Amino acid sequence: MPSEQEIFEKVRTTLVDALNVDEDEVTLASRLRGDLNAESIDFLDIVFRLEKQFGVKIPREELFPEAIFSGDPSFVTDGKVNAAGLKELQEKLPFANLAEFAKDPRIEKVEDLFTVEFIVSYLKRKTGG
Amino acid sequence: MLLKDQVALVTGGSRGIGKAIVQALAREGAKVAFVYKGSKEAAESLEAELVAAGGTVKALQGDVSDPQTAQTLVSRVLADWGRVDILVNNAGVIRDGLFVRMDAANWKAVLDTNLDGTFYFCRAAAEQMALKQRSGRIINVSSVAADHVNAGQANYAASKGAVNAFTRALAVELGSRNVTVNAVAPGFIETDMSEAVRNKAGDFIAKKLVPLRRLGKPEDIAGVVVFLAGPAGAYMTGQVLTVDGGLSLGAVTA
Repeated sequence: MPSEQEIFEKVRTTLVDALNVDEDEVTLASRLRGDLNAESIDFLDIVFRLEKQFGVKIPREELFPEAIFSGDPSFVTDGKVNAAGLKELQEKLPFANLAEFAKDPRIEKVEDLFTVEFIVSYLKRKTGG
Repeated sequence: MLLKDQVALVTGGSRGIGKAIVQALAREGAKVAFVYKGSKEAAESLEAELVAAGGTVKALQGDVSDPQTAQTLVSRVLADWGRVDILVNNAGVIRDGLFVRMDAANWKAVLDTNLDGTFYFCRAAAEQMALKQRSGRIINVSSVAADHVNAGQANYAASKGAVNAFTRALAVELGSRNVTVNAVAPGFIETDMSEAVRNKAGDFIAKKLVPLRRLGKPEDIAGVVVFLAGPAGAYMTGQVLTVDGGLSLGAVTA
């Protein structure tokens, strides 16, 4: 069972390969879109590579749920994620840090939840941590 | 040799434009797998001819309109040669007929092969090209008929118009992964597909409607495909290149 540091280093390598960024650009707090300029196809690529790096199967939507991005009107009111939406996020992303997001739950900030730390937390659980 | 050791997959490669494309790619040093549906003799003869000339060429039987075919054949190419660098979606059919009498079967047959076949093969190759290799060239063989339409080809025109739009969409989605996606739109080419019309009006078309005063040969199209597949085509994507001797300019010889 790999340590958190080992997981982080493997995730960092994955992101360096997938996104063509430098190693020192990748920190736990780095946001995939905001800081590392990931685009839609990159998310697919990242899942693909993580599966290989960690020898795990990552079912579609388990790591990067697509519906949450899409502004589904049952979850979003007036551009903000509503109570139902927050509940959905908590369920779909149990390893995400939602406390900060809940203070200013604008829909365009959902993508800021996808950070390196988010991926590391997910993999900790996935690899038995 | 512009394409030394690259791996190419060409659908509809046993005859006509597809055959010329297979020959041209092999001449440039690519390993070429090509798909044929029913023309077994023509396919085996082409394979033998190119292997005898020192090429690495393989004929694969399959119907591109069957959703399973693409996955099966792309997997075979990957198992044998480890990569797919160039995909040419050339397999196409016509089922000409006046629209008011066009039945659903003829509509569907043309869309299934020309459009869906292209979709299935692009999708089967996309994961390899975009995610694993981060490089690739996709070339879809379209037709001037998408924009310059004659009566009796509503299904064919629709299928090729869709291929053009699909080409642009794919170029946008796969561009960041270093995959270019373009189409070639042939005009009137001397192949089995145009034989009936050529018998009736080939001379008239060549002399009155084509500025270059001749019908096209399959090699005329293959040359442009090689350009798109090779180093010279590296910065071109999402384009439909018309290769028709000027037919679509709509001029009539004075």
